[in-house]
Amino acid sequence: MPSPIALNASALRAAAHPAARPVAAWLMAGVMALLLAVFVTVALALAWAGPAAAQTVRPPANATTNILPPGPDMQGGVLGNLSDGTIWHNIRKGAAGNSQDLRAGSGVLIQSQGDDWRLIRDRWVLPIAWKVLAGVLAVLVVYYAIRGRIKLKAPRSGRVIPRFSLVERVVHWFVASLFILLGVTGLIILFGRPFLLPLIGPGAFAVLASAALQGHNLFGPIFIVSIGALFFTFARGNGFRWVDLKWLLKGGGMLGGHASSGRYNFGEKSWFWWASLCGLALSLSGLLLLFPDHLPGFLQGASAEVPPERILMQWATLVHAIAATAFIAFGLGHIYLGTIGMEGALEGMTRGTVDETWAWEHHDLWYEDHKAGASTDTSRAEVRAAAGDV
Amino acid sequence: MSFLELTQGPLWYLASAVFVIGVLWRLIGILRLGRSTDRSVARASGLGGALKAIALHSVPHGGNLKRTLYHFLTGYGFHLGLFVLLFFAAPHVAFIKGLTGFGWTPLPRWGFLIAAEAAFAGLILMWLRRMTDPVMRRLSDADDHIATWLVFVVMLTGCLALQEAHDSLRALHLLCVEALMIYFPFSRLMHAFTFLFARAYTGATYGRRGVTP
Repeated sequence: MPSPIALNASALRAAAHPAARPVAAWLMAGVMALLLAVFVTVALALAWAGPAAAQTVRPPANATTNILPPGPDMQGGVLGNLSDGTIWHNIRKGAAGNSQDLRAGSGVLIQSQGDDWRLIRDRWVLPIAWKVLAGVLAVLVVYYAIRGRIKLKAPRSGRVIPRFSLVERVVHWFVASLFILLGVTGLIILFGRPFLLPLIGPGAFAVLASAALQGHNLFGPIFIVSIGALFFTFARGNGFRWVDLKWLLKGGGMLGGHASSGRYNFGEKSWFWWASLCGLALSLSGLLLLFPDHLPGFLQGASAEVPPERILMQWATLVHAIAATAFIAFGLGHIYLGTIGMEGALEGMTRGTVDETWAWEHHDLWYEDHKAGASTDTSRAEVRAAAGDV
Repeated sequence: MSFLELTQGPLWYLASAVFVIGVLWRLIGILRLGRSTDRSVARASGLGGALKAIALHSVPHGGNLKRTLYHFLTGYGFHLGLFVLLFFAAPHVAFIKGLTGFGWTPLPRWGFLIAAEAAFAGLILMWLRRMTDPVMRRLSDADDHIATWLVFVVMLTGCLALQEAHDSLRALHLLCVEALMIYFPFSRLMHAFTFLFARAYTGATYGRRGVTP
């Protein structure tokens, strides 16, 4: 089906669109600067981490420890007392003793669930998580190498349509900024020990981990607000419809033929709900990790032997890591398609307007409803978009 | 000399000197411009108009609340947050006490966190508005972006050093602060001082004419 957009020479000249490049360039420069700020901070911290090498938390080799010298084991007897071996066996299994501290779990010397948590985290969550992220990156690189950038099939018309309002763009980039800050610091926290520690050594890693943790904890609460704003700003139009199933069956147009879609296609809607759910999981688990001593009443007193905040924190770290991996993995695909992967996609989120050709090729049903608003006056269209006339 | 000693010693004094001399140079330059003689009979007090302008221009008025709500919230969030961090964060109070011998009660940690959240959210949102609003974007130049990013990096490195356990992070934060102090007098960051002059001048001019600015 040919594009219904009439082309003319002036429209093609307008398609060069000089204003588009500075906006996209500035916003991309902003994102790059954000990344640069994080990386420069990290690099400088590492470069000057020399003195911190002396600040390792490991005790020196000649340190006096509190390990008792070996002595005769106490054997079990007819009075019912237990042998040392039995006592330690029970402790290892999580038996509770007596303690002057009356809070729940104070009598438990070794919490076995903690060991289970560590095994799940180290043997399952971390290995799968890094393989998922590396796999997604590899798929994107290979796809780009084979397919290249998805270009517009027809030339740009030079007429633009307002697509995203100022509020929508601000909220989107606000979440994106925090996604980058929290993503970089979070990945350092999650994978720093297995991947960075052997590379940069304990001194530099201590600096990096400290910085990442502080930054992550600080930006976390703002992210909760931003993800809430994202949900309420973009919820309209992101409900699934039958046309999305057709779009999916056509592989979004990659399997041949034109895949129709409204304001958002199936992939964008999936990303919206995926981000919302991952954001919710990250927010709730993050709050538990940030404020373990301020749990609401219904979460307290779950067990007399193990403090509820300890079990909850163990679950929270696992949920947080899994949700973050899922969020970042899908997010990489979104970033790819929104920037280098697809021609014309970024403009909607930078200037707020999209070219008519792009609108028809990617969101034809939405285009049919909005083609009356197409204009060659790109500046005025930007102002209309900013004012919410989308 | 370690990196920390460099940033706490020579670089700190150099940046402080540039900051103080540069700010004074700019302010004295503005004051020396003087003002043209107003030969008309004043209808009301110029001082009253100046004070009224400073107060009124600090809050939305004249039906502007809806249009300026975004600026109002993000602007105050950022500026108040930054002010609180600058003067009441525990490491800053200790630093000022070490320099001058004067100290005061710092904020508790929760207060620091709230101030930092407000400052970061406000700064990021203001910059995003600058980039996404077509009019704001065309009004902005490199100075606006450099100043924003310098302040952001100063705040970021400060918060990354929050654990106060590593000299390198503290030194990195100090280095960024010093870069900001050197840039400050030659940029629009001077509005931290000149906003009072500007509002007072406008307010006094209108006040003498008996007009509410």
